[in-house]
Amino acid sequence: MKLRLCLCLATISVVLAGAAPLPPARRPHYGGTLRVEIGATLQSLDPAGVATSREEADAKTELDALLYDQRGEDGTFVGTAGSGPFRLSSWEAGKRATFAANQDYREGRPFVDSIEIQLGRPAHDRVVDLELNKTDFATIPPEQARQATDRGVRVSVSQPNELLALVFLGSRSGKESTRIREAIARCIDRAAIVNFILQKEGEPAGGLLPHWSSGTTFLFPTEMDVRTAKEIWSQISPSPNLVLGYDSTDTLEQSVAERIVVNAKEAGISSVSRALPASGKASPGQVDGSTRGAAIRVDARLVRLRMPSPLPRISLTVFINRLEPIAGIVDSPVPQSASPEDVYYCERSIMNSGLVVPIVWMPQVYGLSARVRDWKQPAAGEGWPLADVWLDSTDPQ
Amino acid sequence: MLALLLSVGLVTAGVTVATRRAFDELNRQHTDALVEQFQREYDRRGHEVLNRVQGIAEAEPTVRMAIDLSRPNADISVYVNDARGVAQSHQLDFLDFVGTDGSIISSAEWSARFGYKMEWVTQKEDWATRGSFLMKLDTQDGPAVALMAVAAVRVGDKDLYVVGGERLGKEFLASLVLPENMRALLYLNLDPAFQPPNLIDSTGPVVEAERFEPIIERERTHPGSLTEKINWTFDAASAEIFHSIPKLGRQNELLAVLLIGNSQRTVVTLQRHILWLAIGVAAIGILFGLFLSWWAAARVTLPVRRLAAGAREVSDGNWNTRVAVRGNDEIGQLAQSFNRMTQELVDQRERLIQAERVAAWREVARRLAHELKNPLFPLQTTVENLQRASTQNPDQFEEVFRESTGILLAEIENLKTIVGRFSDFAKMPQPELGPVDLNDIVRNVVKLFEAQFSAVGRPPITPELHLGENLPTIQADTTLLHRAIENLILNAMDAMPAGGILMMRTTQNDGNVDFEISDTGVGLTREEADRIFTPYYTTKQHGTGLGLAIVQAIVADHSGRISVESEMGVGTAFHVELPIKPPHPQATPVVVEEVHEKKVEV
Repeated sequence: MKLRLCLCLATISVVLAGAAPLPPARRPHYGGTLRVEIGATLQSLDPAGVATSREEADAKTELDALLYDQRGEDGTFVGTAGSGPFRLSSWEAGKRATFAANQDYREGRPFVDSIEIQLGRPAHDRVVDLELNKTDFATIPPEQARQATDRGVRVSVSQPNELLALVFLGSRSGKESTRIREAIARCIDRAAIVNFILQKEGEPAGGLLPHWSSGTTFLFPTEMDVRTAKEIWSQISPSPNLVLGYDSTDTLEQSVAERIVVNAKEAGISSVSRALPASGKASPGQVDGSTRGAAIRVDARLVRLRMPSPLPRISLTVFINRLEPIAGIVDSPVPQSASPEDVYYCERSIMNSGLVVPIVWMPQVYGLSARVRDWKQPAAGEGWPLADVWLDSTDPQ
Repeated sequence: MLALLLSVGLVTAGVTVATRRAFDELNRQHTDALVEQFQREYDRRGHEVLNRVQGIAEAEPTVRMAIDLSRPNADISVYVNDARGVAQSHQLDFLDFVGTDGSIISSAEWSARFGYKMEWVTQKEDWATRGSFLMKLDTQDGPAVALMAVAAVRVGDKDLYVVGGERLGKEFLASLVLPENMRALLYLNLDPAFQPPNLIDSTGPVVEAERFEPIIERERTHPGSLTEKINWTFDAASAEIFHSIPKLGRQNELLAVLLIGNSQRTVVTLQRHILWLAIGVAAIGILFGLFLSWWAAARVTLPVRRLAAGAREVSDGNWNTRVAVRGNDEIGQLAQSFNRMTQELVDQRERLIQAERVAAWREVARRLAHELKNPLFPLQTTVENLQRASTQNPDQFEEVFRESTGILLAEIENLKTIVGRFSDFAKMPQPELGPVDLNDIVRNVVKLFEAQFSAVGRPPITPELHLGENLPTIQADTTLLHRAIENLILNAMDAMPAGGILMMRTTQNDGNVDFEISDTGVGLTREEADRIFTPYYTTKQHGTGLGLAIVQAIVADHSGRISVESEMGVGTAFHVELPIKPPHPQATPVVVEEVHEKKVEV
């Protein structure tokens, strides 16, 4: 009964959190070119193409969402390219692309005439371009959102919808491995990671679903407990030297991994962080960095899990399906219904295995120029709603 | 020679010792200079680090940070990434911003350490008076030793500490300017026990670092400067002398050991060079001494050897030998005496030959006069009888005339015979060689003399023949051999006026056929035996002295040898050796005389 009450309160808080202040009312108009900068260096928009990094895979998903109208059951886009709000008008692999408004789009023509997308722009340059009003829309790493805001950049931050978790690869088994995982999970200072590394853009993660989605995160502790971690580790003999892997192209993962090593050291746990080759995903259904680092032995690696849907049941199901091959989870239950209890028990089942140690929840952060109007944060799993934005008549500088 | 070797050895040893001392002193100076340089560089780096850290502390952003952090509920997370950029801009390997409670706000070398305590920084007395200091600190990649400095920015009652430093490692060693054959190593005392990878030079970990373990262990137990020699191989030139200098931290704990290595290759190479030079000088000296000795000896002994060679030549019969006379010293005088002696010998020989020649002519004249006088006297008497008969007895003149002419013709015939003998000896023919059976010749000659052996009115002579069976034929002149054997038999018959036994024997001996004839006659004296083959020499009243001379000439023309053995009252034996195949007719007679068992070769 207490659980039900908590879930209801959590749902109410989520609804209230979504009620953002409305922008000044102005009449939208058509026309203009929306300038977009992204960090990924896409070489192809071929649906069968394989992305070489997480960032590339995310970007391809977002661009496909502009070109395709529908998605299949597995989350991949179906139909013909150009059936979406935009059509590809020009393409320079790895450098830039131009999308033109689809006059025949099912839901009506987008407001902007075209989108000019510059590929391969580093995060720092994207923030600078936003600051100098040289671009209208760009993704910003969450850890740089605070800095961008301080520099006067218009920033749009979504609800935390991307989980950064430490996933043990299942190479160790038995009681000892359970203690190792528990010791690591208890020694991590999640608050420090959120406050220092993410610059307070995010929240500590104790479960597989964010609080705004499930409302049950208070049931999964996130506090650091070094003393207990030390006690647990002292019972492990011989104590191993753990290797924590991270995506070599992901600076955030690297910082978090190094911090975990520091936390572990404080608890007496011997560990090192090690960069793993970049891994992409061929489709939205594949977990970021799902390769096990065949050439490099690692005990656990950091994994980003982006919610495919605001609905907890769908996200948890997708997460479980993505984590199973990484952690070697066998026959883990998936929620059979959307009831909070069912979702919670499935989530608890995964957490009890100790194979997945949630670290932080991170939002999606976008930088916008002043002339971008009617921008709405996309819901979890949705693409960029660039068809709905319009540009103020003010000419770009 | 020994003196030469000793002197060279002494000089070499002296130079080697002096060289070693000089190099030791030079090495010591180099080491001292390098240690001083290291200390200066160390101090300079310390000052630099201190200046940079103080510069960071005094910079505007740091002051602003200090002001911001001094506020209540200050958000330190804003500065979590600041240290890395500041460290890069100030070229520091380590930089930490530390809050007033000792919490790390931002760390350049280990950015993930934010929030953790660095409590020693809050103990100002620990570092304030030191300036820069050596410190062991943890990094993401493990422990490291660094030259550190601390500066504080005080705002109100709160401090912001700036802790910066420079890694003590191969880059530091690379900055040292090292003399040739010297190197600097650094052992970082990061682990409880000696770890070879912690010993580095300017390029990285040192090869065979475990060889330094004794030095490091001594420094770890009793820090202090010490010197140690390491022989890398059996070659002495590979040795290095290391001078160690311990570097201590704030708590006087050993953090690093600087090792200044000095290669002994140059010293050893120079010593070897000197040694080889000495050996070379000694060898040259020895060779020079040998040459000098040889030259001196040759200069002294050569004339003596020449004299000895000359003496050998003279003893071999070459009396015309002369030795060169150089100088007027004793050897020169000896050579002059030798030459005079040989000249005297030659002169004496010439005189002797001349005298013998005169004596021979006299003997010939005497023999000729004797031979001719015997017929001439009857001739004179007969002619005088004819003259007397014609004047005193004309009636008997006719009878006297017949008798006288008969006597004259007989004596003239006798004169012709005498002249013919001399003519025959003068015209001795060259042998015409052909296969000859010596036994046949001996038998034929004996058969001719059988009548004379048993002639009436003289004592009988009994011939005994011992002729060898299967005697090979020889290449010889039958007529000449026949004549030679005749003469030998005649000679033996004359030696046995009272009769006796004449023994003849033929045998084969080593490619020769030997013929021996012996009698039981009166024998010969030594003098007679010596001159028996001399032409015109005879012991008989009626002989010409040419018989045995002719025999000797025939034997010599057949490349044979003849010798005589005789004993007074016993008899005489002649031995003739004739080759089965004479190489060529012998022009020069070779005679071997054996008298009284003593063989004399002429």
